[in-house]
Amino acid sequence: MISDPIIQIDGITKRFGEFVAVSNLSLSVPRGAVYGLLGPNGAGKTTTIRMLMDIILPDEGTVRLFGDARGGREHSAEIGYLPEERGLYPKMRVKEVLVFLALTKGVKRDVAQRKADEWLERLELSAWGAKRVQDLSKGMQQKVQFIATMLHEPALLILDEPFSGLDPINTQTIKDVIVHLSRAGATIIFSTHQMDVAERICDHVCIIAHGRKVLDGGLAEVKRVHGGTHVAVAFDDGGDAAMPIIGDRALVAKADDYGGYAELALADGVEPQQLLERLVGSGARLRRFEHIEPSLNRIFLDKVGAADAESARGVARG
Amino acid sequence: MDKVWAVVRREFIERVRSKWFLISTVLGPVFMIVVTVLPAVLAGSGGGGRHIGLLDEGSGTLADRLVTQLETGNQFRVDRLSASESGAAAAMTELTERVQTKAIDGFLVVTGATLESGKLEYRGQNVSSIRDMALLQAAARQAVMMERLTQRGVDPGVVQESQAHISVSTLRISKRGTTGETGEATFFLAYIIGFVMYMAIFLYSVNVMRSVLEEKQTRIIEVLVSSLRPFQLLLGKVIGVGGVGLLQMGVWGVAAAALIRYRLAVFAAFKVPAQAAAAIQLPAIAGGMVALVLAYFLLGYLLYSAMFAVVGAIVSSDSEAQQAQMPVVMLLIPGILVFPAVLNDPSGPLSHVMGLVPFWSPIIMPIRFAASDVPPAELAASLAILAATVVGVVWVAARIYRVGILMYGKRPGIAELVRWARQS
Repeated sequence: MISDPIIQIDGITKRFGEFVAVSNLSLSVPRGAVYGLLGPNGAGKTTTIRMLMDIILPDEGTVRLFGDARGGREHSAEIGYLPEERGLYPKMRVKEVLVFLALTKGVKRDVAQRKADEWLERLELSAWGAKRVQDLSKGMQQKVQFIATMLHEPALLILDEPFSGLDPINTQTIKDVIVHLSRAGATIIFSTHQMDVAERICDHVCIIAHGRKVLDGGLAEVKRVHGGTHVAVAFDDGGDAAMPIIGDRALVAKADDYGGYAELALADGVEPQQLLERLVGSGARLRRFEHIEPSLNRIFLDKVGAADAESARGVARG
Repeated sequence: MDKVWAVVRREFIERVRSKWFLISTVLGPVFMIVVTVLPAVLAGSGGGGRHIGLLDEGSGTLADRLVTQLETGNQFRVDRLSASESGAAAAMTELTERVQTKAIDGFLVVTGATLESGKLEYRGQNVSSIRDMALLQAAARQAVMMERLTQRGVDPGVVQESQAHISVSTLRISKRGTTGETGEATFFLAYIIGFVMYMAIFLYSVNVMRSVLEEKQTRIIEVLVSSLRPFQLLLGKVIGVGGVGLLQMGVWGVAAAALIRYRLAVFAAFKVPAQAAAAIQLPAIAGGMVALVLAYFLLGYLLYSAMFAVVGAIVSSDSEAQQAQMPVVMLLIPGILVFPAVLNDPSGPLSHVMGLVPFWSPIIMPIRFAASDVPPAELAASLAILAATVVGVVWVAARIYRVGILMYGKRPGIAELVRWARQS
């Protein structure tokens, strides 16, 4: 049954003492999705993922994986889990670590050995298989950790901040692997606070803040629902002449200004054409003017900003 | 179960491959050979043949007796020098010079008053040698006593007879009858067993702590507990490390058995004279002893490794572990502090009590079993109390471990540990 969600979370809550890390969170991840769990630091992403993996138990609510409630550990042979905090046994040899971790997931020894060789070759680490983990560079250790996560070719990958701390080359390598596995039919859920990465790989997103869900759904759907008219502008000269126009609240509701480049949300009823005329009239040297969908970053800032404000009101009330 | 086995295998192989294991496993038998052969070598070559002077200031026949006493047994070679009261100072100066030039080791001064007062004087460079002084004292005491008896008219034949060599040899009596073991051999065996139990339990339990802490520090723990239940992980760890302990004790046991069996060949290899070799007593180790040592090692190791695992789980760094392990170490320490008392009186009240308390019984009971007879009922009680404690402690430890391995930062207090142990 293709339509069955691979992950179904219903109303989970987790408290640590007085602090509510996750509050009444529900979400479902469709089979085959690349699902981004987005939120600022401390939003409850890691806690949610740990509850998925059965590492900590929710105080309330239920988690169903692959259609049952047995928890992540019982499905470990089908799940590849990459925690936010990474590490391997520094004194063990690379291939032995990989084989050991595969064995703990229930993979047979001969299969584990063969797969370890294949993956080491694929990520250009074959020459390092017999070396101790501590003799590898940090980047290589991260690749080994990824291999450990994916070696048993799981149907579901749960990655907590997979791109944090990676250099651009490794980021590219890992992104390629994720896309490859997704094409091969795997479901991938990963948390991040890097919106640009999420925007490029995810087809579904869920934004959480302060332990609560702010929004979720397919990426296209989320963008469509967010509404408003969005324009990207770029200037050759820094756009000083355009600043008064961008700052005009009657014209531009919100501006995400990067200096020479800006993403603008137009005020209600304003057409892009009106803005373009004003900009040209100002004498600013326009390099780009494009009617765009709202970026995930814009949506994130709007939604999380709103959630922050709401939470602040909640605190004030409390 | 396959998952637990993977952990057991990793813990075992990683340790057995380490230099630490190789060195300690080889050093064990080397140490055994040293403690067995060294005394024999020393007994064969050391001591004997001290060259001393005897300054006789008119003591009469007492000096003759002294020379005879000193020279029997070839422990001393004596140069006798007689001097009148007026020449005594000069003779003393001359002897002192001979000591300083190392011509002699020292000299004994006997005067006419010695027989009455029982006082002699010895001057020499070897006065700090306990063995030399004990021999001198014994010889002097014998000589003075015989001279006094003779002068009171006791038959010289009787005096002679009274001097015949006296020695008390000790043989241990057990329920099975008089054993061939001497007191020394029993003491030696009991001491070694107690020491090995303490070392093995302590070292391997601390190894479990290090292993727990390593997984926490490297953060690999989170990957592990996503596929293994914390208890499976702890179980695999304890079995794997314990297996290494058993392997090492096995190697040492085989080495000890071989040493006992082939001791004459070993002594010959070290050129120990046959006479000295025969004097070295090596204990016989019975099968019951082996089984007992194994049972107490396993239970003692389980008990302490569970407690040390808790320490590893509640700390985040090596330095913190050093502090946090102190209560557990303190719990073990009384077990070795009472070594001498238990060896002295293996059936005394202290030995009885210490043999029942589970934190010490793994060390005390094998000592008692080696040095005396332990009633079977007491042995059973001791093992039962220990086993019950192991079950309880492991249960609590596993619950604290489960929570602690994912906690970083401030070390929890006692109240918090109790809460961890209680929560489901």
